[in-house]
Amino acid sequence: MNSTMPSVQAGGDAVPQRSLFTLGAFLTVAGLVAFLAGLFGPHPQRVWQAFLINFLLWSAMAQGAVLFSAVTHTVKARWADPLSGLSEAFAGFFPLSFVCFLILLIGRNHLFPWLHADLHGKEIWLNIPFLFTRDGIGFLILYGVGWAYLSQDLKLKLRAPGPAAGLRRLLAGRIPQTDADLQRVQGRKTLWGGLYCFVFALVLSLIGFDLVMSMDPHWVSTLFGAYHFVKAFYVGLGALIILAAIIHLRRGSSAGLAATHFHDVGKLFFAFCLLWADFFYVQLTVIWYGNIPEETHYVILRTVTPPWNALAWVVFIVCFIIPFVVLINRRVKTMPHAMIILCGMVIIGIWLEHLLLLGPALNHEAAELPLGLTDGFVFIGFMGLMVLAVAYTLKTFPELLPPARQGAR
Amino acid sequence: MPDETFIMGLFKDEGKAAKVILELAAAGFSFRRAHSPIPSHRILEALKLKKGRVGWFTLAGGIFGFFTGFALAIFTAVQWNMIVSGKPIVSLIPFFIVGFEFTILFSVFGNVIGLLVCSRLPDYRGLETYDPRCSGEHFGVLAACETGRAGELMDFFQKKGGEVKVFA
Repeated sequence: MNSTMPSVQAGGDAVPQRSLFTLGAFLTVAGLVAFLAGLFGPHPQRVWQAFLINFLLWSAMAQGAVLFSAVTHTVKARWADPLSGLSEAFAGFFPLSFVCFLILLIGRNHLFPWLHADLHGKEIWLNIPFLFTRDGIGFLILYGVGWAYLSQDLKLKLRAPGPAAGLRRLLAGRIPQTDADLQRVQGRKTLWGGLYCFVFALVLSLIGFDLVMSMDPHWVSTLFGAYHFVKAFYVGLGALIILAAIIHLRRGSSAGLAATHFHDVGKLFFAFCLLWADFFYVQLTVIWYGNIPEETHYVILRTVTPPWNALAWVVFIVCFIIPFVVLINRRVKTMPHAMIILCGMVIIGIWLEHLLLLGPALNHEAAELPLGLTDGFVFIGFMGLMVLAVAYTLKTFPELLPPARQGAR
Repeated sequence: MPDETFIMGLFKDEGKAAKVILELAAAGFSFRRAHSPIPSHRILEALKLKKGRVGWFTLAGGIFGFFTGFALAIFTAVQWNMIVSGKPIVSLIPFFIVGFEFTILFSVFGNVIGLLVCSRLPDYRGLETYDPRCSGEHFGVLAACETGRAGELMDFFQKKGGEVKVFA
């Protein structure tokens, strides 16, 4: 190891323990059992709906969290250094996300209402082979770029082969030995980071159009893609804050995370709370002014018509009003317990928002909200997958944990 | 205090100035004022000031502005009473833009007013104990002591690496 390499102390007691893997496995199995039971039950379309919503939510969370590291590195935001490693741990969910995307293909008959409908010329774009091919390629590029970025970052952080040497070696490759090597790796990291930001916007827009907006194939909002990737960053930041808060609570002031880190990332979370609401509002305003039936029916169905109208208000209050009012306060942003609750609430709110966007298209003439125990179990199943993915990544690469430090406040 | 002398220590390093501020009281001198050519977190921390109330003025201004914006938009729409494109006279969705803009505007007003009130500006006191170098590259720490101890205070500043200016 060259003396110019950054000194990193592996996270000690913050490295995930066996109990965490047990918990993750238990949650995953519970979700899987509920999913399979629902699949062979009377309403398989409900289970596929829950699967799609959770796939979108948890994938967006992982993609958005990794974006935090890429963005802060690209703009040289040094305040984020202790948090960026944690955000990269979410890249462990990428392979699982891709597998879940492929599983959607099995449920295509329950998931795409346009499958046997007259699309008035949109068949060229909206057909299963083309949709899964382009989205699959999109995911592969996004996740490939994400892992390439992570690989360059690990080259800068790894000190020794450590556990799971194979995967570490595969990702980290040759550890830089000289200053010239170091400069080269840092340059590549910046390149891959910038590329990830760009691909993130493109691919998430495509996914928003294909897997959410297309459920109502005759409705169009050109800003929907941007709305989708802003939302992904919003939940990604929420997930990152929860992970950082849990590690801070476990390790205390030696976790390498100071109150200022929580304050800064809390401000970013606050900003994206506003941006999410802004992207909702700008679409609403344009549709309201235009007052074209082809556009207004989508909004009216979801905000005026029961049972969806109540859900729309819940989503707006949970994802915007409450976070906005609470996060004005500086101190709350530095309180890990409070931030876990708030970010958890926002994540559940975005889950409900996905239900609001997809539900009416998948449940025509619904008299009551299509919500049941199965939805909850599928949610915790995905949560289990995320726990396993993040815990495995942190166990394999403990250098991603913030370096322990003395005298943190 | 009738026999009080004001002496300023001028430092090129903000860390030294911050350290002097912290040590003045222990040395038996009375700290009066600090001058900085830039916003300095280290000096702010050394001063141990209580959090200001300017934020409350900003918040109050923002809330007032939000409702004022809506009120203005509703008032003008009702005065015209003209239906455009079949939209209601009082349409809250577009009026939100006016409410938002007024929130920003009145937040700024509140902020400036709060700054003036909390800082008690304009304040012309203390100009006689100011050194123009504090607007250049020096951090000034003004302290007071009994006239008989002026020499001690000057020594104190000089030992800490500062230049000294005595105000008559």
